[in-house]
Amino acid sequence: MIKPCLKKENLEWDRWVENAEKFPDKEAIIHWVAGEEPFRWTFSSILKAAESFAVGLKKNGVERGDVCAIIIRHNKYFYPIYLGISSIGAIPSVLAYPNPRLHPEKFTQGLEGMSNRSGLDWILTEKVIAEVIEPIILKEKSTIRGMFFPLEWGKNLKFEGKDLENIEQIRANIKDIDPVLLQHSSGTTGLQKPVLLSHKAVLDHVTNYGNAIKLNSEDRIISWLPLYHDMGLIAAFHLPLTFGIPVVQIDTFEWVMIPSLLLEAISKEKGTLTWLPNFAYNILAGKVHDDELEGISLDSMRMFINCSEPVRDKSHKMFYKRFKEYGVKPESLSACYAMAETTFAVTQTPTDKEAKVLYVQKQSIAKGVIELNGDDENSRTCVSSGKAIDGCEVRIVDEKGNDLPENYVGEITISSVSLFDGYRNYPEKTNAVLKDGWYYSGDYGFCLDGEYYIIGRKKDIIIVAGNNVYPEDVEDLVSHVEGVIPGRVVAFGEDDEDLGSEQISVIAETKILDETTQKKLKLEIIKAGMTEDINIKKVYLVPSRWLIKSSAGKPSRKANRERLVVKNETITWS
Amino acid sequence: MISEKFKKTILNELNLYDFDIQDDTTADQVPGWDSLNHINVILAVEKAFDVHFKGIEVLKCKNIGELQKLVNTKLDQK
Repeated sequence: MIKPCLKKENLEWDRWVENAEKFPDKEAIIHWVAGEEPFRWTFSSILKAAESFAVGLKKNGVERGDVCAIIIRHNKYFYPIYLGISSIGAIPSVLAYPNPRLHPEKFTQGLEGMSNRSGLDWILTEKVIAEVIEPIILKEKSTIRGMFFPLEWGKNLKFEGKDLENIEQIRANIKDIDPVLLQHSSGTTGLQKPVLLSHKAVLDHVTNYGNAIKLNSEDRIISWLPLYHDMGLIAAFHLPLTFGIPVVQIDTFEWVMIPSLLLEAISKEKGTLTWLPNFAYNILAGKVHDDELEGISLDSMRMFINCSEPVRDKSHKMFYKRFKEYGVKPESLSACYAMAETTFAVTQTPTDKEAKVLYVQKQSIAKGVIELNGDDENSRTCVSSGKAIDGCEVRIVDEKGNDLPENYVGEITISSVSLFDGYRNYPEKTNAVLKDGWYYSGDYGFCLDGEYYIIGRKKDIIIVAGNNVYPEDVEDLVSHVEGVIPGRVVAFGEDDEDLGSEQISVIAETKILDETTQKKLKLEIIKAGMTEDINIKKVYLVPSRWLIKSSAGKPSRKANRERLVVKNETITWS
Repeated sequence: MISEKFKKTILNELNLYDFDIQDDTTADQVPGWDSLNHINVILAVEKAFDVHFKGIEVLKCKNIGELQKLVNTKLDQK
């Protein structure tokens, strides 16, 4: 087995090796597949498999510092492949496997954009999508040097002593400030911003975050989160592997089809921790049949951590009401505020208390100073995301960057020992958000009694089930649909109470008056979204010159949304 | 074969005016039927036909024709 570095740099790999030595037979990753017996990697078996993949990668020319994009579906070998990349000093970057509804051309465009931005060197994927990816590699200026299918290597991988020595030599030169992974901030494919993180950043982060949630040797993490998202990759992959904690990995696709899988896994594996975006609470509480809950026990759970989209008190209440008889405790309903740029978490609510809830006068929020109120219709319910974790500092600032006291609403800025150094190859985006070591999140919030409450966003980003969608992308797509007046489109997020998330709505100007043709146009607009895997839930067609313009001369998302959604204005066709 | 009631249930749930659904149509080809709305479509079908699916049964359906067959099987078992 590859040994820890002699000069004792604190690397992720060293921690994995230590765990394999300390707990060789302890379960590391339980790979869950619906209707099958799970596959169980131990801390020693996963490292052994990782070493084999490392040898295979070396033989294929992968060098230290190379970025290896992994585009592989839920597969038990995914994990040792990821570890194998890391073991030779290369940089793993998990990318989403293309959804069947995404047009292949759009997928390649997105991957090409990401490749040019992130500097991808190698693609590790499945043979079935090789044809789609190959043309990008063949392009003259492509950064991608080759494509492998490591799932096909299987028994052909032979482990040889000489190869092992080579890998040990490479690793001896790796420093803790060297990159360990490349993750992408959530966003539309191709426009995602690459965040490179060092061993030190990740190790410091999981240590600080582990303290915040009082991670202990009895913990077992259950997750259906995709590993291309920071919440899945850091909280449900790096954190448990670093601390020798077992994690159950459920296929995201299967969870969406069978939400009760999460509950089944918690019950069977005696799970204690899980991270969920807010919509998952609504789905679990409202869309799972009683008979799927037969024999389910959730009383082993210490924390359900709500993260990656605005936390809703209603969702917590629904969830608790539905599952209290299955053992869910109110104090297990927790929340966290996180982002890829700070590795993952910034704040976390305490481990033994339910996330605090405040009723704030709506008018006071508009004025920027928080005044508490009773639970009535003039109040907005705000759920705490907790206090800053160790190693993180949070400031609430005004438009000029001046500090605001408690109770004042401002932009949330963060400084952290695990803060990124900037987006890879993206200085203009970096300069816009990183100033004097502080990351300007673009989120609005306030602090009260040391706890942070996130209440809005500076930009018009739409968060659909934890994924960020930029309205500009949607508007651009819809503008090209025949029948829509180009440039006369706005896209925005519309609250879906039932789902506990936002869905995408579009207002588009058209000169078409005939009702049947308008219905066809609505369908074409939805279909245009599908080609980029963007689900437009509602389409409002309006006549020419209906949209209100902002002072910059562009249709205003806020004002037009308000006309239709808040004031429910009737559209008149003349 | 896709029944009119089955098709209408799906289209209503997805707020679609019309869309051609055949036996071999897959969910990802239907506008609006994404991972987020999948569960709502399944619940709408269950409600319309007063049947109940197990998650794994739906997972095994490769296309909408197979989902229709699953509905038919459930109705036969009643």
